[in-house]
Amino acid sequence: MDVLRRLEGLELIVVTGKGGVGKSVVTASLGRLLAARGRKVLLFEVDPRENLHQLLDTQPSGGEIINASPRLYLQHIEPRELIDDLVREKLKVNLLVNRVLASPVHRHFTEGAPGLKESAVFGRALRMVEGHGPSILRRPDVVILDAPATGHGVSWLAAPQLVADVVRSGPIGHMAEVISAFLGDRSRFGVVVVTTAEEMPVEESLELIAALDGRFGREPEAVIANALYPAIDAAEAEDDPATALWRDRRAINVTQLERLATAWTGPLAEVPLMAIDPGPALVGAIARRIEAQLRSS
Amino acid sequence: MSAPLTIVVGSGGVGKTTLAAAIAADEARRGNDTLVMTFDPSLRLKDALGVDVDPESNEIRVPMDAPGELWASLLDARRTFDTLVDRYAPDDTARQRILTNRFYDHLSGSLAGVLEYMASERLFEVASFGKYQRVILDTPPTRQALDFLGAPERIVSFLESGALRIALKPWFDANGNFKAMARLGVLGRNVEAFFDRMVGMELLRDMAEFFQAFTPLYDGFVERALEVQKMLRSDATSFTLVSGPGEQRVADTLFFARKLSEAGYRLGPIVVNRVHPKVDAAPEVVNLADGRGLLAWLGRRDHQGVAQLRDLLGDSHPLVVVPLRPDEPTNLESLAELGALLREQLKG
Repeated sequence: MDVLRRLEGLELIVVTGKGGVGKSVVTASLGRLLAARGRKVLLFEVDPRENLHQLLDTQPSGGEIINASPRLYLQHIEPRELIDDLVREKLKVNLLVNRVLASPVHRHFTEGAPGLKESAVFGRALRMVEGHGPSILRRPDVVILDAPATGHGVSWLAAPQLVADVVRSGPIGHMAEVISAFLGDRSRFGVVVVTTAEEMPVEESLELIAALDGRFGREPEAVIANALYPAIDAAEAEDDPATALWRDRRAINVTQLERLATAWTGPLAEVPLMAIDPGPALVGAIARRIEAQLRSS
Repeated sequence: MSAPLTIVVGSGGVGKTTLAAAIAADEARRGNDTLVMTFDPSLRLKDALGVDVDPESNEIRVPMDAPGELWASLLDARRTFDTLVDRYAPDDTARQRILTNRFYDHLSGSLAGVLEYMASERLFEVASFGKYQRVILDTPPTRQALDFLGAPERIVSFLESGALRIALKPWFDANGNFKAMARLGVLGRNVEAFFDRMVGMELLRDMAEFFQAFTPLYDGFVERALEVQKMLRSDATSFTLVSGPGEQRVADTLFFARKLSEAGYRLGPIVVNRVHPKVDAAPEVVNLADGRGLLAWLGRRDHQGVAQLRDLLGDSHPLVVVPLRPDEPTNLESLAELGALLREQLKG
């Protein structure tokens, strides 16, 4: 199936990749793209230092859902608070809530328990697309998660299964199983890998693609190769240092794109560096570029 | 505590690892016995340093034709965790119990602070042996390098608060039954019932066992972590902050710089890496296929960022500008040259 159609049909998209490759701007652009195609989109940002609002030129979320443009919303998520919310919800007596939240077991458990925070973020996304959102956005069609750059994105995806494995009963165990099943459903959940065409990011992307296949038996919906130097026109090539540098950097891009192509033959969008300051104009230009590239891939 | 220590910090993807290796190669070439501790080197940098040849040994001598010795050490969470278990488990039974704990696999890779913890441990060892004249420490690929620096302190305060003891140790009696909640009376039983309902007591017991197994490790850790913290704030340690180019990075860089200073660390140079060259007679009209226009735009953007940073920093910290190179350095020679370029700029 056409990849744009596939992306349109998903309820959760995780955007992942190495630090510094432009995940946030691609997340915003994907959001813009799907919103323009009629989907109601909610962007989740987990990085403690918010920057999606700058790209979309709106106020910072501060934990609230913000409407950035028609059908496009964003929200900054603090996983710890999601877990505390869960305690409040399950334990209705206030005195007990405070006891639990203040107890070292809870604090330590939520900090140390592997996979819990990630699962809580997925759980929130699932609740949103199932129509349990607040009045400003009752039910987004799709949530796009700008996954943190720490380690490999695959540890995020593995988290709910991990929780389901160790917590076999109770609401958390149940929640983890539901989320695991959700993430296993290719018609509802997809991964988009962002990379630059440089050695380290491509290396990490190849590892990620292999891990997705090996551990989950699936592949990304698309790979976005970001921040490429444009091809150099031989006729215009002058021999000044700047052109030489451009030629060399472009050559690295070409080599690394070839390397990527040996392991990834699925949908690929090549996004060039653009002479536009970060903001809605850049997001729009990248969105159009991704759309055009994915349509032809 | 004699080895002058350089700690390279900054956001993910800015080139910390390469610059750390470059500084180290330059130091060795200047005659200092140098160790570079690195987290996530590229394949080619691994090749250049030879660090993936022998994953079993902690430090590897890098063959380099230089008056000083160059050593490299690749930090890996799982391997260090295994080493810690070997070292601190009181006996074979305990060792087996930890290694077969179903949390071990997951926790050794993902437990918050593990990487930081082991970097501290290694720093402590390295510093106390006094084998090197220079130690260059790369920091993990994360946007929160400050978390990394704060980790030993957080662990210390966690341990000193007794939270670990309160939270895990006395809650289970010799038979593995959960007991401490009883002391809280009805409320305690309710909280206990809540945890049981939420995650199951079996899980809490497993976690408790896991953490208990590491008690001997915690005992010495407070002392060592405090030593390391003292060292990090001493005159022997200097931080090098690496930033990406461009105006939008300026706020990020200043944030890091302020946080480091506030925390009492000695911030040395700020390095703006991969700065595009200025292009004269830069054309204004730019489209996607217009590479020269783009390059001129990138050059302007990067230099405006540098100028802004220079303005805001004043004389507080030296600013080093590293131009974007045709390629990343891939051998010791070009690494050492990059390191020398940094040093020269600092002098001038």
